Amino acid sequence: MDKPAQQRTGLLQGTLDMLILRTLLYGPAHGHQIGKHIQRTTNDFLQMQHGSLYPALHRLEERGWVSAKWETAPDRNREFKYYRLTDKGKKQLVVEESQWKQMSEAVARVMWPTAEES
Amino acid sequence: MKWWQIKKRRADLERELLSDLELEEEEQQERGLPPEEARSAARRAFGNTTLIKEQTHEAWGWGPVERFLQDFRYALRQLRRFPGFALTIVLILALGIGANTAIFSVIDAVMFRALPVENPQQLVLFTWTSRQQLKLHGHSDFGDCDSTSSDCSLSVPFFRAVRAQANSFSSVAAFAGPLEVNFLGEGSAVIAHGEYVSGDFFSTLGIKTILGRQLGLSDDSPSAPPVIVLDYGYWQRAFGADPSVVGRVVRVNSTQVAIVGVVGPRFRHLTPGKTQDFFMPLSLVDRVRNEWWNDRDRLSDPAIFWVSMVGRLKPEVSIGQAQVEVSNIFRNQVLHGATPLSSPADSPAIRLLPARQGLNGESVEYGPMLNLIMVAVGLVLLVACANVAGLMLARSARRQKEMATRQALGASRARIARQLLTESVVLSLAGGVSGVLVSIWGVHALVQLLSQGTTQPFAFVIAPDWRVLAFTTAVTLATGVLSGLAPIFRDARVDLTPFLKESASSTLGGPQRGRGIRLGDTFVIVQVALSLVVLAGAGLLVRTLTNLHQLHPGFDTQNVLLFGLNPKIAGYTDAQTVELYRNVQQRLAALPGVVSASYSEDALVSQSISGLDVHLDGAAPKSNINTYSLAVGPGFFSTMHIPVLSGRVFSSADFSSAFATNAAVTAAEESARKLPVGSASSANLISPTAPVSAHPLQLAPVPVMINQAFALRFFPNRNPLGLHIGDAQEDEPAKGPQPGFLIVGIVGDTKYRDLRGEVRPMMFLPLVGNSAHFELRSAIDPNELVKPVRGIVSAIDNKLPLFDVRTQTEQIEQTLFRERITSRLSSFFALLALLLACIGLYGLMSYTVTRRTSEIGIRMALGAERSRIAGMVLRESLLLVLCGLLVGVPAAAFASRLIANQLFGLKPGDPVTLLAACVLMVGVATIASYLPARRAASVDPMQALRSE
Repeated sequence: MDKPAQQRTGLLQGTLDMLILRTLLYGPAHGHQIGKHIQRTTNDFLQMQHGSLYPALHRLEERGWVSAKWETAPDRNREFKYYRLTDKGKKQLVVEESQWKQMSEAVARVMWPTAEES
Repeated sequence: MKWWQIKKRRADLERELLSDLELEEEEQQERGLPPEEARSAARRAFGNTTLIKEQTHEAWGWGPVERFLQDFRYALRQLRRFPGFALTIVLILALGIGANTAIFSVIDAVMFRALPVENPQQLVLFTWTSRQQLKLHGHSDFGDCDSTSSDCSLSVPFFRAVRAQANSFSSVAAFAGPLEVNFLGEGSAVIAHGEYVSGDFFSTLGIKTILGRQLGLSDDSPSAPPVIVLDYGYWQRAFGADPSVVGRVVRVNSTQVAIVGVVGPRFRHLTPGKTQDFFMPLSLVDRVRNEWWNDRDRLSDPAIFWVSMVGRLKPEVSIGQAQVEVSNIFRNQVLHGATPLSSPADSPAIRLLPARQGLNGESVEYGPMLNLIMVAVGLVLLVACANVAGLMLARSARRQKEMATRQALGASRARIARQLLTESVVLSLAGGVSGVLVSIWGVHALVQLLSQGTTQPFAFVIAPDWRVLAFTTAVTLATGVLSGLAPIFRDARVDLTPFLKESASSTLGGPQRGRGIRLGDTFVIVQVALSLVVLAGAGLLVRTLTNLHQLHPGFDTQNVLLFGLNPKIAGYTDAQTVELYRNVQQRLAALPGVVSASYSEDALVSQSISGLDVHLDGAAPKSNINTYSLAVGPGFFSTMHIPVLSGRVFSSADFSSAFATNAAVTAAEESARKLPVGSASSANLISPTAPVSAHPLQLAPVPVMINQAFALRFFPNRNPLGLHIGDAQEDEPAKGPQPGFLIVGIVGDTKYRDLRGEVRPMMFLPLVGNSAHFELRSAIDPNELVKPVRGIVSAIDNKLPLFDVRTQTEQIEQTLFRERITSRLSSFFALLALLLACIGLYGLMSYTVTRRTSEIGIRMALGAERSRIAGMVLRESLLLVLCGLLVGVPAAAFASRLIANQLFGLKPGDPVTLLAACVLMVGVATIASYLPARRAASVDPMQALRSE
């Protein structure tokens, strides 16, 4: 069922991109780690769907915001595809962060107007 | 990302997902789950990996392309699985598209193609109208416009007046021809066709020469040195495209002319379908004359209408304005000239027509035939579409289970639609490409076929028309694509489960025998009905041709060689001509293998006729009768095996007396014309050059023979032998007393113009001049005589060309060429339609049998005999055919009325033909359904039931 799936990613797309970029600010990580990290940090509030994670990662790579490379994991004797934030990605993260801030402030003003009006 | 990296990326993604899946699995194990459960837990956490892959592919931006390729590969695989189906569809599409494009291209070229000149839309043709015929001295047309609806022959003085006085045109040109001339260029003399053109013809039309120069105004004056310009095709054929031809001097009739140029290949003739071998200026008309023209000056006599005129309108002038202006000039000339040709009451006027619309002479010739074929081909296209639709539907019905499975596995409707669409498009494209090939070949074949009718090269420029091709391709492809998509529309709201159960699709009358199949039945019925219409039409045309072939034309057509001689344009006088003919006839008769030889003005059944108005003695004044006439040489009737019913044939005395009378009458007419009315004096009449010494009344009447039809029609109760006719004294006193004719013999009826025409009263005269066609009755294959005959003629005069050498049977075949082509083409398309309909029937029946395999198995297990099973299938398919016939027979009977005027010897809706078409249809349909029936009968009941 293509349609609903696409709607879901569409809804989350901007946010998910930002979360991924933010996660990669700590350093390179592979897909599994990124997913787990977001899930853990939000106390399992955001259940990471692999169906959206991988397309998002590949999209970010396609746009040049992250770069990917197969590297051996420090703790395991196996190669993983590590994603790393590029300079372009860092700038994008700043842009998205400020956009998100503006957005949530705007939403907040509508939702809890009293604080502003006083 | 670049397109070629996709493959690497796909492997990369595969590896990435796999490694992360393993990691997940390890983590689950670390949490204490046993390995098996850990694996499934990991998979659960991951979800549908295929979906993830697909969605990630989307992120690469090449999703649509990838999906298309995937569909494309799948489509190819599907088609490879059923090569018979794919091949059939491609073949049907190819024939449908190809045949239609070919026929439409030809029709377009013949009927609608723009003129091959600069800015053809500015060009108008002059035609004239008058309530009563004008009093003309002469009128000839060369088939440039459809003479039944308009007359486009005008006089040269009128042309000059328009050129001098009219302001509506930037230029005006006149042309006439082509005219047969004796052409002596390379080697021996030949008959060539010259077109008279005014000096500004080339500049008006914007025709370019590829060699030398055009004709100009300075060439079109009586004092100019005579020059001609060659047609491109003739330059190629007769001069081997020799560039040194410019400047060469050739002889046209008895005039030396210089070749000054060669016209480019793009221009053939203003009238589509006509050609000429060269162009000569109008001023040459005094020296290069048609044998039929009298001695009047065709350049200055306003009462001889013989040239066609085209004008190029100035941009700001409308056709209506121009028409008013030139009509005034015309009226002025015909009403107020030295001798008025008309009266104001007849309101003579000029009507201007767009040149392309007016110059349609040759299209009229081919139009009805092409229209008929077009209808046949159109019906075939319909059959083809119905066929494709039927086959696609049957196949999609067979794939319902597959579709249901795919849907159950989560494929979206759009995805399945895309898949089906790709398959249809692949099929249709393959059909389209083959259709292009077929159409190229078809145009070529059609041109070949049409050229058989003329000895001249086929003059229409024909190439496959790409617009038409695009249209037919679009229609056919749309059919393919739409019917390919049908399962989607149909299955929009169906319950999936029945399709997943094999058993549900294997019995008759179950819920699955739904719309698609009944639609399939309809398609077969439609095909049968349409094919029957084409088949019956073709049958009528074929039988028409057979009837014409079986017709006895009144003379023996076998073993006769024909050839033409035209001594007059080679400079012979009448006396010399008579001498020449006698000489040739004697030598031919002495040839081994020749039984007898004779000649006549025209060959029989050659589409040329002459006619005469004669007055029957004793009939009321001014009541002339019209009769066919044919001048013949000695021995004509015995050579052609035409029976003499009573009286006698012409004796040599008849020929001498006819010659004397003819010479005297011609001379008298000439001297009368050369003397202006009123100034005639006896002193001038008795000039030493005038050969007339006897008063015409004292001349012996010309001995004639009549055919039986003449005798029965005009002398029903009398013996016509010895009777005198044609004393037209009372009718046309101005013409002077005429010697008339004396009937000396009666012969059997023969066909004259063509085989179709009714036998009409006909009069045979002794031939004493003019051109003639020789007839040689041979005891051997007449074609073997061609060489010795050429030898004899060139031994007598090597500047005298033979033309139209052919046998009498070939001559008749030539007149039947339209019938032959229509019957051949319509049979071809009828058989094609029949074949398509049977393919459709076969497809449907085999599909039914496949679907009902288990039902048949059960029946057999219950004791049904194999012959009964086969009978059941046959009965079902013949029922469909019968339904088709029920619709088709009345349709065919109705449609055949549209071709009533093309039939001969039978009526439209001829029951025998209809019955034969039905029998053929049923016969072929039986064969087509025999194969599925046999397959049904050979079903192994055990296997059929086991497959349940």
